[in-house]
Amino acid sequence: MPLTRRELLGGAAAAALAGAGIYELVDKLSPAPSRPVAGPIPTEQHVFDLSSVQSEGVQVLVPPLHSEVVTAAIGTDDLRAAQHDLEQVLRRFDARYSPDPAGLGVTIAWGLPYFEERVPAQARTHLPLDRRAGKPVLLETRRFPSDPSDTRLERNDVAVLLRSDDLAHIDEARKAIFDELGVFRMTSIRRGFAGGGFAGKQSLPKRIAMAAGVPGADLIPDTSELFLGFTSTQKAGLGPRLIANHETLGFVDLRDGYFHGGTHMHLSHISEDLEAWYLNFDFDERVLTSFRPGLTDVKQGTQTVPQRPQDVATVEDLDAGYRKTGRFGHSSSIQPTSRLQHDFVASDGTVYPKGTAIPQRADFNTLDNPFAFSAQPELDKWSDTPTAGVHFVVFNPSGDDFERNRLAMDGVLPDGTKLDVGHRSRAQGFNSILTTSHRQNFLVPPRRHRSFPLAEL
Amino acid sequence: MRAWLIAAAVAAALALVPAASSAPAAGGCPAAWRSGWQALANRIQAPVYCPTWMPNPLDAKIGGQYIDINSIAKDRSYLVSFLEHGDAGSGDVHVNFRGYPGRSSIPTCTTVVLAGKKTLRGRTPCFADAAGVRRANGITATVYRVNQDADQWHILLAWRHRGSLYTVSEHVIRPYTYRQVVRNLDRLLSGLVLVQPER
Repeated sequence: MPLTRRELLGGAAAAALAGAGIYELVDKLSPAPSRPVAGPIPTEQHVFDLSSVQSEGVQVLVPPLHSEVVTAAIGTDDLRAAQHDLEQVLRRFDARYSPDPAGLGVTIAWGLPYFEERVPAQARTHLPLDRRAGKPVLLETRRFPSDPSDTRLERNDVAVLLRSDDLAHIDEARKAIFDELGVFRMTSIRRGFAGGGFAGKQSLPKRIAMAAGVPGADLIPDTSELFLGFTSTQKAGLGPRLIANHETLGFVDLRDGYFHGGTHMHLSHISEDLEAWYLNFDFDERVLTSFRPGLTDVKQGTQTVPQRPQDVATVEDLDAGYRKTGRFGHSSSIQPTSRLQHDFVASDGTVYPKGTAIPQRADFNTLDNPFAFSAQPELDKWSDTPTAGVHFVVFNPSGDDFERNRLAMDGVLPDGTKLDVGHRSRAQGFNSILTTSHRQNFLVPPRRHRSFPLAEL
Repeated sequence: MRAWLIAAAVAAALALVPAASSAPAAGGCPAAWRSGWQALANRIQAPVYCPTWMPNPLDAKIGGQYIDINSIAKDRSYLVSFLEHGDAGSGDVHVNFRGYPGRSSIPTCTTVVLAGKKTLRGRTPCFADAAGVRRANGITATVYRVNQDADQWHILLAWRHRGSLYTVSEHVIRPYTYRQVVRNLDRLLSGLVLVQPER
């Protein structure tokens, strides 16, 4: 039953936060958007088809209302039995729910500790290699120049990404995989939300932040998709369906093809200082630091800024802009690595034009601090005080491809150009108000090998 | 002691206890604060706005224990700032009053961006990101959320009176939240008293 405005403002929201958990407010506050009928179950685990709408004249994808990531360690030595049992559970969900936000998205991603400690011999033979980087596709997790020195580099065996417009679907999946199966020991639960404002209503990030009373909540624009005030799911800014697969762009050696249809996933938690963002950066500066310096034709209050292939910045653009203004924008800094630099024809015949985005982001806002649950609260610096942040989830063809993007965000460009900007300085815009608490890399096998990959060999 | 003062101040402010006001002198500037504001008006030969209430624990006595900045520029514009800096992370309470006699436009401030070894200087409006208006006490003030220099990280109200620009701002920092600062500014605005210069 939806909360009335009076209930929301008058304290019922506070009671709901204390009793049922803050994220159940999402169900009360926003009915699920209408979704198209889903197609067949894709070969890839990470493919999750989203509907699109127009936002301020720009085509945007509508993210799932709820997202959750559960990380775990393996709690059994009988991997073959565990493989069988987990696959049976996952097939049950495949049969019951469509692979879209109206149903349920389940993506099982495996960390380096799993491959190194549980299936080391098979991993040496079958894990894909990044030919371009001359490295394995799955890399040891690292810190980046703008990360604090205490950013925790995690070593979970597995992460399960659950996505749906219906919280009950996610709850059911989490219970089945982690409570009933008995093969995992949960290390964390990370919950969040996104969107809900494209139809002109107050968005979920705004409503939930206001209900929780986090600092800066009042400053978030009413219909903003995410806490920071700008839409981030422009269709042209997200990788198309299969581009993040290991094999699509041709720089990954799949060896015997076991991981064909797989991808790389990076997971991090980032705190966002909303007051610093909205009280120290005026609208024009928020635009130039989010997108690029010189973007002067954005009307005050705009939330959805076009991210078309023809808007893509080159290394030369970035360098020249930085020399002139002393700044570089978040989006433009990443584009030399995150967008195709020339037209590309994939082995399946799909043509990807120059400027096409490669990463597929699945990030969502959160009030976790840093997680909803932690098995190691002291190590994770866990607190029950809500704080604004984002659980950043992104799929790239390889770990090195992700690292290229993330380094570019710090001014380290793929051709060796280094924009001489202080770490976390205001010139970096976004970075100065973000604090990354946790990071980990994962490999996402194709659906056919999603359950304890390589254990059967 | 200061930490305790601020914690107590918040409790008082939330309960809307007028703990930091001073008795007005016949509907005017409070007697304990009047001499300083009158002296300011006299020095710049222009009206100034004296508050009749301040957020706890501050008072508005120019020359008193909370005065932080008392500055008059060559163009007669002034900045009077009151600050309580809480020890042990208890937070700050910081309120600024400005006036720009004979000037009604928003002033510009210098920006400094370090690009490697180069220092790039530019100009930006000192008060930006207008976010609505507040009306009280016959004043219609514009709310600005992004402000520079001594008003950085403050919410600021700006209004014009007879061709001059005036502002009052408060820092958004513990112990006061954004909403409490807006409420404090509303209360400050509704209690402002104009002090004319003595001829």
